[in-house]
Amino acid sequence: MPRDRAVEAEGLERVFKGGIRAVDGVDLAVDAGEVFGFLGPNGAGKSTTVRMLATLLRPTGGRARVAGHDLVGDPSAVRRSIGVALQDAAIDPYMTGRELLHLQAVLHGFDRAHGRARAVELLERVDLVAAADRRVGTYSGGMRRRLDLALALVHEPEVLFLDEPTTGLDPISRLTLWDEVRRLNTELGTTVFLTTQYLEEADQLAGRVAIIDGGRIVAEGTPAALKAEVGDPTLRITLADPAAHEAGARALAAFGEALPPERSGALAVRLPGGAQSLPGVVRALDEAGVVAAELDLAMPSLDDVFVARTGRRLEAADGAGEPAAAPAPA
Amino acid sequence: MRPAVTQTAALARRSVVGTLRTPQALVPSLFFPLVLMAIFTGSFGNAPGTIPGFPEVRGFLDFALAGAVLQGILIGGTSAGAAFALDIEGGFFDRLVASPVARTAILVGRLAGGVVIAMAQTLFFVAVGVAFGARIEGGLAGLAVLLVLAAFLSVAVSGLGVVLALRTGSAEAVQGTFPLFFALLFFSSAFFPRETMTGWFKAVADVNPISYLVEAMRDQIVTGVEPRSTLIGLAVVIGMAAAALGGSFLAFRSRLRSAL
Amino acid sequence: MSHVLAVSRGLAWRSLILVRRMPSVFLPSLIMPLFILIATAGAFRGISQLPAFEGASYLAFTIPLATVMGAGFAGINAGMTLARDIEGGFVDRLVASPAPRITLVLGPLLAAAARSLFTTTVVLAAGLIGGVGLPGITGTLVIYLLAVGFSAATACWSMGVAFRARTIQAAPLMQVVVFLSVFTSVAYAPREVLTGWLRHVADINPVTYLIEASRAAELGTLGWAELWPGLLATAGLVAGLGAWALAGLAGLGKR
Ligand SMILES: Nc1ncnc2c1ncn2[C@@H]1O[C@H](COP(=O)(O)OP(=O)(O)OP(=O)(O)O)[C@@H](O)[C@H]1O
Ligand SMILES: [Mg+2]
Repeated sequence: MPRDRAVEAEGLERVFKGGIRAVDGVDLAVDAGEVFGFLGPNGAGKSTTVRMLATLLRPTGGRARVAGHDLVGDPSAVRRSIGVALQDAAIDPYMTGRELLHLQAVLHGFDRAHGRARAVELLERVDLVAAADRRVGTYSGGMRRRLDLALALVHEPEVLFLDEPTTGLDPISRLTLWDEVRRLNTELGTTVFLTTQYLEEADQLAGRVAIIDGGRIVAEGTPAALKAEVGDPTLRITLADPAAHEAGARALAAFGEALPPERSGALAVRLPGGAQSLPGVVRALDEAGVVAAELDLAMPSLDDVFVARTGRRLEAADGAGEPAAAPAPA
Repeated sequence: MRPAVTQTAALARRSVVGTLRTPQALVPSLFFPLVLMAIFTGSFGNAPGTIPGFPEVRGFLDFALAGAVLQGILIGGTSAGAAFALDIEGGFFDRLVASPVARTAILVGRLAGGVVIAMAQTLFFVAVGVAFGARIEGGLAGLAVLLVLAAFLSVAVSGLGVVLALRTGSAEAVQGTFPLFFALLFFSSAFFPRETMTGWFKAVADVNPISYLVEAMRDQIVTGVEPRSTLIGLAVVIGMAAAALGGSFLAFRSRLRSAL
Repeated sequence: MSHVLAVSRGLAWRSLILVRRMPSVFLPSLIMPLFILIATAGAFRGISQLPAFEGASYLAFTIPLATVMGAGFAGINAGMTLARDIEGGFVDRLVASPAPRITLVLGPLLAAAARSLFTTTVVLAAGLIGGVGLPGITGTLVIYLLAVGFSAATACWSMGVAFRARTIQAAPLMQVVVFLSVFTSVAYAPREVLTGWLRHVADINPVTYLIEASRAAELGTLGWAELWPGLLATAGLVAGLGAWALAGLAGLGKR
């Protein structure tokens, strides 16, 4: 097998009682040191895959190696190499963060003194020192997730599985957790296998993503490559004076294929040059004497990738795309 | 072997700390048995010595003490089982299973924690009883036997809870068994002597293992260590504990069968 | 006034339907009084050999305890339903509607009373099966009346707790107080038999007089001397706890 593969799965499959094929022949190859995003809607099979890779659930088909150990052949070696933070795993509300970390360390075979030191180290890492001796019941959602992360890190695992680590968090807590995951990956070289329903999370955090739907991988690659496959960004311009429509369209013709505008007084054009073409566009409009009230560059998103592969949208709330340029006066 | 022992101890400690920090679980197991004991003692204080067939005893409090100990362990053991179910519901169990922790430590740690609580509870009830004038005729030896009986009973009750927890994964289901224990308790000689019962009720109490267990406990308090009743009580409670332990290992194995 | 009655009846009906649709709530309230009757009469039968029992059957002696406890469960249930409704927002909806507020108390009260009639019937029937006959029309009516009264008192207590705590978490408080009030009276033995602290508590516990009256009715020894303290105690409990519930209701708008 190729060296330095953190996770490798071939035809991994899990059929539940009643014939539900939650995971239906998944192939995965995650390199050591990678942050790998596993993206999919509710019920796609993300948790089931993670639970199998974490030895919590026996696959009904296929094979997998985690950290170089065969999943079925040597599950205890796998367990020694991985850290797991499961989707909505509750943490004892009556224990303090420090106590839980210490317990986890002792369970992993640290002696008491060493365990105590490790707890302090991890509390610092996830920025919970101030709350270390408070009961977890008083923690905010974000603090709990960070503690959960720290608990998974006690034994310095090679591979870290995070199942929807930021679901239900507010944007700021989400950013904090992302930073944490990035630091782990760059400082310690930990491979991170992270599932998420959020396009942005996969986009921001993962070097490579796989998109799963209905138990099957529908796309895999770097976010940029996946988006590039789908197509070019779209530029939408709202004109200050709807009468300038003709002039505007002429000025834009050089930059890309014109698209049907969504309303009158607006222009839309496919912009293969992306953000780099924007200064040119603005200059051309200026020279033509056309005033833009609003300028909006929409990048193709992972959602567009999802649409292209499944015909459905992943994130209704996110709309068609992510605005790359805020409304700009021209 | 050694890591399994440390892990068991660490998990037992966690479950003791958990119980001590959840007053809503701890308080009922201390409060209700004491209140019932006080009410029974006030209601039946005249029974010893006047009712034909009532065993020789210094006072009704001495008689009632064993029932309180037993009841406390039934409540506490049920909570231990429910706490195990909460670990499954909440994901702590999965975290353990996905880590290199010894499998037996997960189960034995919880039961051992329950035993520690049960023995502490027993000492507490005895202390309260003695403070209000009861006397432990069996002395230290009697107290030791009482603690051993309490320990095995705790394994039996929390073990049954663990079986249900593993099969259903629901703390509510485990708590739901409590009325069953409560019925067993009332249809036994836990609160009143079998010698004064009649008819079908007596027949039920005669076959109820709780009767023999509570009578063994009671003898340590009211008569001193009696080999016969002690052995019967030990046999009954060890049988119950063994069955519960066996059942919980089987349930544990079958739950882990879906894992690796 | 007729509006108040109609709404109360509607609410009582709703809570009775809820009871029927949620057997997990309903069954215990049926089983518990029966369990108390059978377990108490079976386990402590021996105590009735004391002279103070005057040869009465201990099963007959225990029937009033079971009817009163059944009524207590009915009352507690009224409070628990209300607490759940407050938590779930049903009460807010009602308060925001033109329905008179007093119906929030009267509805559950009616439901508790209706359920206490039911549990009392079940207990008396169980007594019949166990060989204890009905104590005549007056006696039976008194038993029903006192059960209804106790269900009203415990419902008021529990609703008062619900109005203040506004969460179902307060259920143990409702239960513990009701249980203690019954078991620190003459639950298991007549007052002459009680010893120590229990004797003193029972003397000042109004539930003692309620149970004594119900017991006299059951055992056929009911006279005016037994009846009036029971009626007075019941009326006092209902009045006092009713005020407690109404004060809670008044506080509902002032969060
Ligand atoms: N123990 C089980 N028994 C039967 N079916 C199951 C079981 N666990 C999961 N499933 C089913 O398998 C499918 C995949 O579930 P899974 O939990 O892996 O999805 P997910 O991608 O993690 O979704 P979510 O985003 O909601 O967490 C779902 O249809 C689910 O109902
Ligand atoms: Mg999931």
